[in-house]
Amino acid sequence: MSLFTRTTRELTVRIDEFFDTIEIGILIFKEGIKAYVNGDNNAFQNHISKIDDLEGKADKLQRSIENDMIVHSILPQQRSEIVKLLWQLDEIIDTAKKSLNEFYVEMPYVPASLSHDFISLAEVSGNAAEELMPAARAFFREPHLVREKLIRVYFFERETDKAAFQMKKKVFHEMHDLSLAEKAHIRYVTHHIENISDSAQAAADLLASMAIRQML
Amino acid sequence: MIFLFLTSGLFLGWTLGANDAANVFGSAVGSRMVSFTRAGVIASAFVILGAVLQGSGAADTLDRLGSVNAMGGAFTVALAAGLTVYFMTRAGLPVSTTQAIVGAIIGWNFFTNNAVDTRALTQIVTTWITGPVLGALFAYGLYHLVRITRRRITVHLIKYESWLRKGLMIAGAFGAYSLGANNIANVMGVFVPSIPLEATDFGIFSLTGAQQLFFLGAIAIAAGIITYSKKVMQTVGNNLLELSSEAAFVVVLSQALVLFIFSSSSLSGLMVRLGLPPIPLVPVSSTQVVVGSVLGIGLYKGVRNINIKVLGGIASGWITTPVAAGVLAFLMLFFVKNLFGVDVGHSINPPAASGDGVSIATIIRYSIPALLVITAVYLVYLVLSENKKTERMNKKYYE
Repeated sequence: MSLFTRTTRELTVRIDEFFDTIEIGILIFKEGIKAYVNGDNNAFQNHISKIDDLEGKADKLQRSIENDMIVHSILPQQRSEIVKLLWQLDEIIDTAKKSLNEFYVEMPYVPASLSHDFISLAEVSGNAAEELMPAARAFFREPHLVREKLIRVYFFERETDKAAFQMKKKVFHEMHDLSLAEKAHIRYVTHHIENISDSAQAAADLLASMAIRQML
Repeated sequence: MIFLFLTSGLFLGWTLGANDAANVFGSAVGSRMVSFTRAGVIASAFVILGAVLQGSGAADTLDRLGSVNAMGGAFTVALAAGLTVYFMTRAGLPVSTTQAIVGAIIGWNFFTNNAVDTRALTQIVTTWITGPVLGALFAYGLYHLVRITRRRITVHLIKYESWLRKGLMIAGAFGAYSLGANNIANVMGVFVPSIPLEATDFGIFSLTGAQQLFFLGAIAIAAGIITYSKKVMQTVGNNLLELSSEAAFVVVLSQALVLFIFSSSSLSGLMVRLGLPPIPLVPVSSTQVVVGSVLGIGLYKGVRNINIKVLGGIASGWITTPVAAGVLAFLMLFFVKNLFGVDVGHSINPPAASGDGVSIATIIRYSIPALLVITAVYLVYLVLSENKKTERMNKKYYE
């Protein structure tokens, strides 16, 4: 029984550590975009290396949590949903890492007039993912609070869609000095930043249904 | 020779262990919250403890209903009950060992021209109804308490689940103890008057003759649990009772409480000391109490989850099982006595003359309308509360 208690405690700590890792990853992503747009190459490189480490750590934590839940038959009835939720959350940091790497590899041209739009887009998209974390933590401790916490995720996801739409419209309708390739490239990286809030929304939908089931 | 006659009771004990242990640990094992090995060991140990320490109360009530005074009669009565359970289970009909043994004893009473103790019969029939109803009430209250506690305490889900896992094992042990205490009367109760064993002193403790029989019966129940209940537990856990860990804990605890109440002579004595009527010590069907408990949780969550057919099944079992077992016991006693020349018992309390006796017509006249009225009232209550709940839900979500 003491072995089981220890596993339970360790697992609880690891789940919290997983959430911390995702949360820090999102902050790094926002800072990374800011550094790229402002042309601070050293800071940008630094952020890429940090998010690489964090993504690796999140993967390891996710696998070990999954493994312990199966081996010790923890939460047998909710296990598959919890594993799916962890996978969805891991998807967020994966997308953030991919997005920063794409900036690093493809070096998209960001005109000065779009700097502010890019930073705001990364900010709102990151906010959607950031707001998901308190809801995910609440599922494990106070499931009745999950739904009200998710409202902010849906709000930021909508804001991200609006910001991305405005930005794409500005690029294609107003910035005639950009070539079509540059415009297409901007649209492509914008889409990648948007993916973070989309992943957050998918996780939020899953979390909402899990919380309802938990409350029944 | 005694062992040969006991085989029918041991067989009944084995079937009880194989089937009814699933009521105690089924949902926990089915949902993989508790491993079968651990559940089997806990259930076996506590069934034996409950039967030996507290089994006499319910057995005394069965003895009052009909004191089977020959080994051949006890063998036949237990066999008739066992066969009724077996055939009705095979036919897919709702059946309970408790009701089968009561029917078989009444069959013996009619065959040997003994009066049926109306008071004992009324007590038994009343508990068949109050058992599931009490189970539902306990489950409703306990589930409400568990939900409120869960909402008030900020504890990690994994930690909470580990508490529930421990709770399930403790409640399961209590449930197995109560099952042994309450249901051992079904298995060995009929043999107590006809096999008067002497008390044995083991040095540290001593066992009366009845306790020795209960110990044997409990071993048979434990054998049923270990050899055959795994499949039943997994079926119960996965199909019939798809409950959350919280609900499973509440169901097991409610069932254990109901069975304990109807088998604890200390609790009954306490009621008397408090100036209240004593609690009848009667064997009740653990399956029906579990169904009642699940219905209690269903009521808490909203009546639309409840399958009315299940209720109908229980109510029909109250009548069909004892009647079938009674008729079978009567026929078997006839053949055993006349074909094999075995003594199946004699009349010690003939009906009518003493005024305590009751004819089958009287039983039917009073019990069937009472059962119908109670079932009808319960169904009306369910329908009304469903309407009320639907209105409340509509208000909550659409206004």
